[in-house]
Amino acid sequence: MAAPMALRRELCSLARILTGISHLGPRALVARSGHKKYNIIRSHLPQTPSTSFHTATVFSSTPSLVTVTEEPDVLYQKVSVLVKGHDRAVLDSYEYFATLAAEELGVNISKVYEPGKEIDRLTLLKSVHIFNKHRVQYEMRTHYRCIELSHLTGCTAQVFLEYIQRNLPEGVAMEVTKTTMEKVPDHILEPMWKDHPVDDKPSQ
Amino acid sequence: MATRTGRSLLCLGRTHIRALGLQNAAGRVTYATEEPANHQSRFTGPPDRRNKGPFAKKPRRNEGQSRAERMSVDQDWTAVYPSAMPFRANTVPLPVRMGYPVKGGVPSQKRGNLELIKIPNFLHLTPAAIKKHCKALKPFCTEWPSALDTDAKCDEHFPIKVESTDYLSAGPSVRNPSARIVHLKVKLSSLNLDDHARKKMLKLVGEKYCKATDVLTIKTDSCPLRKQNFEYAMYLLTVLYHESWKTEAWEAEKTVADMEEYSWEESPSQKNLLDILVRMKVAGEGEGEEVREQLLGRREVQEYKDSVTRLKNEGDSDSTMLQYKEAVKKVFNL
Repeated sequence: MAAPMALRRELCSLARILTGISHLGPRALVARSGHKKYNIIRSHLPQTPSTSFHTATVFSSTPSLVTVTEEPDVLYQKVSVLVKGHDRAVLDSYEYFATLAAEELGVNISKVYEPGKEIDRLTLLKSVHIFNKHRVQYEMRTHYRCIELSHLTGCTAQVFLEYIQRNLPEGVAMEVTKTTMEKVPDHILEPMWKDHPVDDKPSQ
Repeated sequence: MATRTGRSLLCLGRTHIRALGLQNAAGRVTYATEEPANHQSRFTGPPDRRNKGPFAKKPRRNEGQSRAERMSVDQDWTAVYPSAMPFRANTVPLPVRMGYPVKGGVPSQKRGNLELIKIPNFLHLTPAAIKKHCKALKPFCTEWPSALDTDAKCDEHFPIKVESTDYLSAGPSVRNPSARIVHLKVKLSSLNLDDHARKKMLKLVGEKYCKATDVLTIKTDSCPLRKQNFEYAMYLLTVLYHESWKTEAWEAEKTVADMEEYSWEESPSQKNLLDILVRMKVAGEGEGEEVREQLLGRREVQEYKDSVTRLKNEGDSDSTMLQYKEAVKKVFNL
């Protein structure tokens, strides 16, 4: 019941998105808007006026939703996802969700651990005016959870992180630290003074 | 589907809706703006208030069974909670209780429980739902190259590591200024540097080099965008590399105090040792350069040289002191 309604709703927004996004090149849309539902956008669908989307033309041919480009994929040696929240139970559930999603998508999990909680305490006066001896104390507890993933490609990282982030519960913050691997660029392989010997300059 | 019909029927207003009996064929949803087919004929005028008075309450209809009680055990839960939604007590068929109990009591039931509604729930992310989502997302993932399975191989082919952080939190702004910071880490052993270039690079870089791990870290945050900071970091690396290969004229004025490592040749230790050995007449009678050269070639003198160099470079430790002691004993035949 819910699924066909959701699809129709997504298609109406698809019309708006497609007309807006068609100016982007083919590279950008391999995993763009990887919403957990079905509105993955294909880069080279023809530009049709929005009225035609209410007919069944989009369904007739089943287009492949994946676009392959020539651009080399980024390689991440490590992606570290740190989630912060005020409630430990919520972080427990989120960790279960993230680890299961990583396993299903074939992502390598190297470490899942819980850094110690931080408690921020402050003591304030209880009353608006005078009564210095009567104070009230507040504290804010921040719990952490860290999921370290290793050996991810750019596409996989994009898909996984978007999925994780769209399902981040309210009241939870996230920091993602990515370590990209790069080759030594060509201009650092050999010193340039062999080809361009330096003239004698006055020393500083 | 009965609840959806019920909700839409309630929207139509307080008329005799019970009698209307809107039939939803094949999942059509009735909206409040739709006029039901036989609305006109059933509307019989304002309700009868003769016996009740001006402020009497409308009689409440029977609730009937909640949706949770009518659910089957093998239903598709992903259709009940397809996305993040608040907790609804009559939709979740679990006997859940939450809240601090009164004295001698138990936590309150789920019906009308605000605590259950406040806390974020993961009912839309059951393992079945996650598997379904991942199955749909799997075609967009790419495989990690199988030739790079160990960290050592990764370091060998891709020695430069670039680290950056993304921040995600709820607040007045989506942006976080710390997201522009870029750390570039590279092992100096993977760069093409000769001896002089390496020493000059270490002097240029100073604090940014970690001797234990042989890693040079360049942290850039002066530009407003991450891409710009990354390009600046690569530029700095390029400049450091090429400058360290250049030999300036003033580098010839390097004194003993500037040296990074201790070298025994031309040091006071060598002079003192040779003086002592000549005076002890180890190599027989005679003064001059040839005697010194001959002494230098001796095995004990070389061992002494090694032990002193090691002591000065590595610092005091048991093994270095022991080696020095053995070397001294051998040189002086003690």
